[in-house]
Amino acid sequence: MANIREIRERVASIQQILKITNAMYLMSSSKLKKARKSLEATEPYFYKLQSTIESVLEHTPHTRQLYFDRRDNIPEDKRKRGYIVITADKGLCGSYNHNILKYTEQELKKAPDIDNCYLFIMGQVGRMHFQNRKREAKKAYVDSEFLYTTQNPTLYRAREIAELVLEKFENHELDEVHLIYTDMVNSSQSEPRTVRLLPFERKHFGKAVDGTMKKLPKASFEPNPEEVMSYLIPNYAKGIIYGAMVEAFCSEQHARMTAMDAATTSAKDMIRELSLLYNRARQAAITQEITEVCSGASSVEK
Amino acid sequence: MSKTFHLEIIASDRVFFEGETEHLVITAIDGLIGIMAGHEPLVTALPTGELKYMVNGKWQYAAISEGFIEVMPDHAIILADTCELPEEIDVKRAEEARARAEERLRQKQSIKEYYQTQAALNRAMNRLKLSQKHFK
Repeated sequence: MANIREIRERVASIQQILKITNAMYLMSSSKLKKARKSLEATEPYFYKLQSTIESVLEHTPHTRQLYFDRRDNIPEDKRKRGYIVITADKGLCGSYNHNILKYTEQELKKAPDIDNCYLFIMGQVGRMHFQNRKREAKKAYVDSEFLYTTQNPTLYRAREIAELVLEKFENHELDEVHLIYTDMVNSSQSEPRTVRLLPFERKHFGKAVDGTMKKLPKASFEPNPEEVMSYLIPNYAKGIIYGAMVEAFCSEQHARMTAMDAATTSAKDMIRELSLLYNRARQAAITQEITEVCSGASSVEK
Repeated sequence: MSKTFHLEIIASDRVFFEGETEHLVITAIDGLIGIMAGHEPLVTALPTGELKYMVNGKWQYAAISEGFIEVMPDHAIILADTCELPEEIDVKRAEEARARAEERLRQKQSIKEYYQTQAALNRAMNRLKLSQKHFK
């Protein structure tokens, strides 16, 4: 039987942790409420942006615009791939960070040469994870000046990030840009996702079922397609980054809330079990004392 | 009543307007464009500027910052960073933003910073202009 004092100390320490997890649960649930509100407000924009761009591209004549340049002349293993990864600033949010980091590692493995991968990581946890791998011979380059928080996403921050990657793409410092974030699939489920930002993808649409080219009406562009695209694509990139930031923030809060809720319940369970043990130990001690007193008294009587 | 088309104005933080419209006037990169039902397919970018649309014979005004529009014969979609009615504009905030941007323009800046500040100034001025013009 465990020592009474030991059990008492354990219960006290669990109670301390319970207080912390409970407070974190309350905080993250109120933050989640806020994040969900902004997610709901942004979602129509996010989805509409993607569908509209798709339909705009269907009506776009072929352009030699910079952002469409696939740079096919660069061989696969020489291509510089940039990844914007959105992680959390703090831990204690269940498997949220773990999932996104594992997913990113998998994505990096797909690249032919990991030395040509550039990581732009938002959030402290992800940055620490990828920076602390000095031992490995081949590793992706982490931009250490890319310091953005994932708390409370703003359009301003999204704009700065979009400008940064677009500039790098224009200067041929990057040949591809991908965005990795956690998507809220529905209100209780989220999973990591990748979106390719650049070069801009023109899907092979326009082919009808019988294989003939569908004739899509070409829209007119004011003043001309190149000009419009050079406005539209930075705008699109910014919108997508902002949307992803909002989605990721919401998933993070959700993950933290669930994790903290689970921690609080299991702490409560542990306290219940331990107090049972404690009571038993105490009872045993009392019984033993009584037996001792009785046997002592009876030996005196003799 | 004249023929209408479906207009959607979606800002990054909310759906600003969705409904039938008779007439829409936007400020595109190279000037004002008027759009009525049955307009030819058109795509253009919208810089920070003013926007007006007619619902039931009444003009509605809005301040818009950077976005783009897709026009189809029967509908039009505007996607913008922000979109506000004149009465929603926070004049104080816009004035502060203008002062801040003007202050920064006086400093030495890199070209990139200069463009960013100018864009910020543009947004502030546009808000102030619209709020003074249509809401007093």
